[in-house]
Amino acid sequence: MNVAWWCSSTPGQIWTWRYTPFIGVWVMAATFIGGYVLAHRRDGRAVDPKLLRRWVLGVLALFLVSEWPIGQLGVGYLATVGIARYIVYTFVAAPLLLAGLPDWLVTRWFPDGSRRRQVLATVTSWPIALLVFNAVLFGTHLPITVDTLKVTQLGSFGVDVLHLGAALIWWWPAMQKVPAENVIEEPLRAFYLFASSVLMFVPAAFLTFSPLPLYGLYELAPPLWLGFDPTADQQAAGIVMNVGGGFVLWAIIATLFLRWAAAKEAEDTAARRLRNEATLARMAALDPETAGAAGTAGAPETSGAAGTAGADPDRQPTSD
Amino acid sequence: MSSPRSDRSTQRPPVRTLALLLVAGLLAVACGPASATAIAAQGLEPGPDGWRGIPLERERTVPEATLLDTQGDAVALHEAFTGTPTLLFFGYTSCPDICPIHLAAIASAMGTAGVSFDDLDVVFVSVDPDRDTPERIDDYLANFSRRIVGLHGDLAVVEDALAQLDLPGPVVEGADPRGEGDLIGHPAQVIGFDADGQALRTWPFGARRSDWIADLPRIVEEWS
Repeated sequence: MNVAWWCSSTPGQIWTWRYTPFIGVWVMAATFIGGYVLAHRRDGRAVDPKLLRRWVLGVLALFLVSEWPIGQLGVGYLATVGIARYIVYTFVAAPLLLAGLPDWLVTRWFPDGSRRRQVLATVTSWPIALLVFNAVLFGTHLPITVDTLKVTQLGSFGVDVLHLGAALIWWWPAMQKVPAENVIEEPLRAFYLFASSVLMFVPAAFLTFSPLPLYGLYELAPPLWLGFDPTADQQAAGIVMNVGGGFVLWAIIATLFLRWAAAKEAEDTAARRLRNEATLARMAALDPETAGAAGTAGAPETSGAAGTAGADPDRQPTSD
Repeated sequence: MSSPRSDRSTQRPPVRTLALLLVAGLLAVACGPASATAIAAQGLEPGPDGWRGIPLERERTVPEATLLDTQGDAVALHEAFTGTPTLLFFGYTSCPDICPIHLAAIASAMGTAGVSFDDLDVVFVSVDPDRDTPERIDDYLANFSRRIVGLHGDLAVVEDALAQLDLPGPVVEGADPRGEGDLIGHPAQVIGFDADGQALRTWPFGARRSDWIADLPRIVEEWS
């Protein structure tokens, strides 16, 4: 049993608003950005400013939630901030980092035919990625995991690495990175993202509706203010997970889906137009007069007649 | 997409990159955020009898000491706190961690377990007479419950009360990093007395709400 019999300044860390830089976090951020630029230089390629911007924003998101004060508050004091960190790692940092990663760099780190590439291809296939992501989500939010791992610096760092790693794996097929065989398209992509958002409601519900604090780590942490209630903090954490993991993700899904629907519609319109043009050309070859009349009405967007005809090429008037 | 450089460079494993990431990771572990609780935070383990509170082996009773309540009235502990079970805790209002955590856990668990302050006295004795004025104690306890009894007195009287319970007296441990004077070291356990004033069990720091919810109804039922 691990308890304290003497109240002194040593057992816990008293929270103060005095800035305490975490050198390790600064070094990590510098390594991420420096490594990115270095990889381009070594390969003799110019850095794409658009990709670099996304990469830097991803690193910035990681940095902000790992540095003081958010990092310290989330790791040791407030469940709400702890869950908010998870949300940022998963829904902000990971997709930005992936969006900033050029395909050639992925190919360089995971060369075709190598064992690493095989591992990448396996873990980023969507069923495995979905499984890994949710296993990490559930596993790392169990009270026993939090109260065992997050009370040590190494354990806490390990949990952060797991969160980021699982998020990268999860986003990989949805962000349509290489290997091409793992890329998923709508409507499977929407289902894939939606399935995770629904599963995320489970731990969120436990946090929101539990009448007692689930995590001793936050329950027994020095309070930031007198009258602080760890149960209310936990309920707020559940709401953050619901909003971040549910509604924000749904907004992303809706945006992706609508974009896909718009692209599909444009594709269909273009295909219809091609079919119409082919039909008109056929007609022109058979009867130049009819083709001329239809050709006037042939601009699909400006003519109701052409619109009707365009909707079903089989109903085009024949020259007979 | 193939690299403009040779295939050899394309196929080269990113050993340096991995080494760099490893070093950065180790630094992040060593110089990153850490938990605020120094204990495993998993609560007290239930004993063979199901109690979470730890039984006291030596016989002790409510100390024979007279302190003042926040209204300025004298309170003889051994007289005032017999007749109902009592939880006694020594702390101070500037305490940054253990005192507010203990008091919040007890007050919250009493509400959840449906245990009334009419059936159980909860007593807070200040070990910091210099800073803990009656008003300050009142304000402090109001953050948890106005039904918690706040007492204060001369340091010598408080030390004597602690000694009667075989507990060490308070010790000034250095400056509070929040700039609120000194931090004071003191016993971290809550001591439970039955209605006859016999100390039966103790709850060290690490007791969680779930522990109190398990023990509080039994205290009222079995110790009254």
